[in-house]
Amino acid sequence: MAKKLSGPQMIVANRLTDGRVLFLTAEGWAVEPTHSIVAHDEDEVTALLAVANADVKANLVLAVEVVSAEVGEGGVRPGHIKTQMQARGPSVRTDLGYQVSPFWEN
Amino acid sequence: MYAYDTFDHAMVNARVEEFRDQVARRLSGELTEEEFRPLRLMNGLYLQLHAYMLRVAVPYGTLNSRQMRRLAHIARKYDKGYGHFTTRQNIQYNWPKLVDAPDILAELAEVEMHAIQTSGNCIRNVTTDQFAGAAHDEVADPRATAEIIRQWSTFHPEFSFLPRKFKIAITGAPKDRAAVKWHDIGLVLKKNEAGELGVEVLVGGGMGRTPVIAKTIADFVPESEMLSYLEAILRVYNEQGRRDNKYKARIKILVEDTGTEEFKRLVEEEYEAIRASFIDVPAEEVVRIRQFFAPPPLPVLADEDAGLDALAAADFRFRAWVKNNTFAHKVPGHVSVTISLKPHGGIPGDATDAQMDLVADIAEEYSHDEVRVSHEQNLILPHVAKRDLVAIWQKLDAAGLGSANVGLLTDIIACPGLDYCALANARSIPIAQAITNRFDDLKRLEDIGQLKIKISGCINSCGHHHAGHIGILGVDRKGEENYQLLLGGSGEEDASKAAILGPGFDEHGIVDAVEKVVAAYMGERKEGETFLAAYRRLGPDVFKEAVYGAR
Repeated sequence: MAKKLSGPQMIVANRLTDGRVLFLTAEGWAVEPTHSIVAHDEDEVTALLAVANADVKANLVLAVEVVSAEVGEGGVRPGHIKTQMQARGPSVRTDLGYQVSPFWEN
Repeated sequence: MYAYDTFDHAMVNARVEEFRDQVARRLSGELTEEEFRPLRLMNGLYLQLHAYMLRVAVPYGTLNSRQMRRLAHIARKYDKGYGHFTTRQNIQYNWPKLVDAPDILAELAEVEMHAIQTSGNCIRNVTTDQFAGAAHDEVADPRATAEIIRQWSTFHPEFSFLPRKFKIAITGAPKDRAAVKWHDIGLVLKKNEAGELGVEVLVGGGMGRTPVIAKTIADFVPESEMLSYLEAILRVYNEQGRRDNKYKARIKILVEDTGTEEFKRLVEEEYEAIRASFIDVPAEEVVRIRQFFAPPPLPVLADEDAGLDALAAADFRFRAWVKNNTFAHKVPGHVSVTISLKPHGGIPGDATDAQMDLVADIAEEYSHDEVRVSHEQNLILPHVAKRDLVAIWQKLDAAGLGSANVGLLTDIIACPGLDYCALANARSIPIAQAITNRFDDLKRLEDIGQLKIKISGCINSCGHHHAGHIGILGVDRKGEENYQLLLGGSGEEDASKAAILGPGFDEHGIVDAVEKVVAAYMGERKEGETFLAAYRRLGPDVFKEAVYGAR
């Protein structure tokens, strides 16, 4: 049986072309963490990393990290403040960060 | 200021085209991230939390109007309309795209700027006094010396892969406004009894997890042999500095481990071997470089100005701005103006594209086309006639640049912190904002007097918390932001390390704690005694009791 983790985990990375933070979901990479795939044991982490690292090889993303996740009624949210900041954008200049356009592309 | 020659242009342009090719190969997959990362870092391009970050060098903090306008243009065209001036006198853009980076560097090259050696284990941008060439108290303009060091250290083949990054600061005045004692090498320009120019050399200063104040290893090295001496220091460090542990790789650790006297002996030995070799710059070349920094032809003017006096009498904010934000110039009737990038509730060091354009316009009209960036994250107009102060103040104030708080409690240094930085453990900017909002009363600030607060979001100390009269260090405590309070640091010629006062606080508690420290100082100070002087006289106990209560 696969070794249990200390808590649920998810995958975060940055998009190669502009560094935009992305979370790994069943439908691929998303800018929102809500639908992130959550791993509960080491085998699941390994499987998620295989998907993510394939996209590193395909030059889509970089800086893949396994980070803690919290699963609640509203979906998945990052567990650590650093990943929470990545999901939300800076807490300052909220007129300019992701807060203006969560799907900031340009 | 220094103007590129054809070699400089060719080198920088070649570097831009090389990087353009590297980016294209990265995007096509020809280069992996592992291969590309050191290449992008050599060009100042980091990956931070939300995006790439480009750090652009501002050599010894000196810009002309054309360069400042180009920085504004880059913020507007390639970023989100603002930039962040740093404690290294550089500018950072928080949102550039990888695909745009070569174009940004090409635009910088057109105005004789680049991002070379703003990252990596090499000699970084040489920093200096923001009032260089203008200060009433300087021995000589340190920018010419800084430019000589820049030319020596740029692409230096032997020192491109040092054990760790390397920072040099130089002051031309005995009053240290460049924090030279906190640098890997600190240089103090001096004249000997014969009137010849030279440098006092300090080594082994640094912040980070092991704060160390630099020690003097040579009281006077003639300017004509300075590069030999620097080469000797770097050679000893390059050979003997630790490469097995990045936390012990800075020169400060080598100097501590070797002992200052032995380190000095090793340097002197190397120096004797290489002095009078080809390394040093010929005297005529020094003269040529100094000519780039010739002082502008300022007329001697009256020190009094009726318009200034009238507005100062009528407007408390203007009076405070003249008092706090101007610095005595060597030419009578003139001052250097510090434009505070610390509006209350704002982000220390940030400027919008429109503000940068405005500063460029004002510099062109009133300051002989010169702007400086200070390590305290403000902008400076070095050569301003006092009679122009009213007009300048009105333009600045209308653009949100009229804060009269230079040197006061709200003139806070803060690193980008966890809002942007991938290394940070806690946010810095919101703490600075909360403190400036709490102390949003200019009369109260003036009553408190000179007080430097410096905030870092992690132990790397980009926010200079070790040198703060009040230092704040953000740490990660079980996944939560927590802030340590330090007191008694100084970045000036009386450099001292701030000491942790006691247990840390959450983001609200730290602001309350700062207020309690200030109240304790106000209660205990003697007539005219600054916060730092009072702390040094009183020691930490009074402040501990004020913050944590009687034990």
